Amino acid sequence: MERSDTLQEKMEQNGMSRRTFIKYCASLASLMALPPSAAYAMAEALGKAKRPSVIWLPFQECTGCTESITRSHSPSIEGMIFDMISLDYQETLMAAAGHQAEEALHAAMKENYGKYVLIIDGSVATGLDGAYSCIAGRSNLESLKEAAKGAAAIIALGSCASFGGIPKANPNPTGAVAVSDIIKDKPIVNIPGCPPIPVVITGVLAQFLTFGTLPELDKLGRPKAVYGETIHDRCYRRPFYDQGKFAKTFDDEGARQGWCLFELGCKGPVTYNACATTKWNDSTSFPIESGHGCIGCSEPDFWDAGGFYKALSMPADPLKMAATAAVAGAAVGVAISFANRAKKGAAKSAHETTKLEDLEK
Amino acid sequence: MPSIDQIPISIVSPDEMLTGQADAVLTEIAGMLKRLLDDGIEGSIDLRGLALSGADRVWLEKQLGRGEVEIMLEAGGWSVLTETAYPGVWKVMHRDDRDRVVAELIEVAFVPAIIRPDNGDVKKGHESLLLNLKAKTAGV
Repeated sequence: MERSDTLQEKMEQNGMSRRTFIKYCASLASLMALPPSAAYAMAEALGKAKRPSVIWLPFQECTGCTESITRSHSPSIEGMIFDMISLDYQETLMAAAGHQAEEALHAAMKENYGKYVLIIDGSVATGLDGAYSCIAGRSNLESLKEAAKGAAAIIALGSCASFGGIPKANPNPTGAVAVSDIIKDKPIVNIPGCPPIPVVITGVLAQFLTFGTLPELDKLGRPKAVYGETIHDRCYRRPFYDQGKFAKTFDDEGARQGWCLFELGCKGPVTYNACATTKWNDSTSFPIESGHGCIGCSEPDFWDAGGFYKALSMPADPLKMAATAAVAGAAVGVAISFANRAKKGAAKSAHETTKLEDLEK
Repeated sequence: MPSIDQIPISIVSPDEMLTGQADAVLTEIAGMLKRLLDDGIEGSIDLRGLALSGADRVWLEKQLGRGEVEIMLEAGGWSVLTETAYPGVWKVMHRDDRDRVVAELIEVAFVPAIIRPDNGDVKKGHESLLLNLKAKTAGV
């Protein structure tokens, strides 16, 4: 495999001009919250960079992260794969399968030992020695340890790889953990989100290639440029929060006026991510713009945080629920569920306004 | 029960709300212009990095107005660089080859940096022109 190609050479081969590349870098600089002028420095440094080998291993995951990345708008996955990196192993995208795929993985690891970037999506099952999630007869735990040895850096893509995610949600039957719980001797960048914002990964790779370093990380190992501010800080509904104007239900006058969704359970104030500015679906909108609060998917243990429709100011009571279930058995939980369904049904049939408590389990 | 058209609903879309955040952008631009005049330092603001509503953007655009120059650049998709009513302040919108906006900036510069050709590009152009002339001469 040709490794001597620089991005500049690849660009010239593809008929891409310097100005085109500067535009590309301008979009990356924008994403990484670098000053717009950094686009020129990035273009120069990236132009001279060699294409890094990237090995991407999927563990306990739903492929949502891959779906997100492959539907990224700009730069496109094609651009990322062919112009910026040498994606040597990715089970969902590669044509090879079975023994052929495993051979490709080991050849890439051997050839680029100490230099490749390892991307992991999905959590790592540790229960029963990792037997809950295996590929080619080997546990994810074993594969991770082996692949991490020769990696220059690891990118934990998505909330599952970053923090354990949904597989780790109570009662965590597979003993799911984050990549950083297993690997302690390599630089790890967490890019959480369920799924993560697609272009963040390209931005991290671009920074790695441009400056030879990983971006500055927060205490949870996330790039500060993207996760440095809360959804709330950048939300267009923030002025309503400051004015004390809150939607009380999803169909009241406040909701129609676009007021703050804090009281409807929005987790924006405690969720660090760039959805409010980067947005989704070709920058069309983000959940709050569609009238639903942020669920905090880029934060650790978001699934067990006490209810998507509970305001942050309300006490979360998962312990109470757990104790109830433990004492009275699963039947109580079922009864509560039926009772709530009945309440929802009654509200619906009476054309009542749905209230918070109707939505809460 | 009233019919749906009798229910008084006033929907304000995010695009119609003025948040007041565009005011700060104008002040920042004024500071950048002063730096350009005093020290020749160029600056830019990433509009997509700010939490501006649609209404804020319209307001800002109105405040900045239009100048005499508009530059169209075709490089991996179209870019439009428009001088505002304030010389030295440019509105720059980069689109990709699928016509999607990839960067939206306010640049404060005498000429936006992307317009000025790079030394290497000029050198290559010069060599290419000389070759062309040589070929023509040889042909004659």
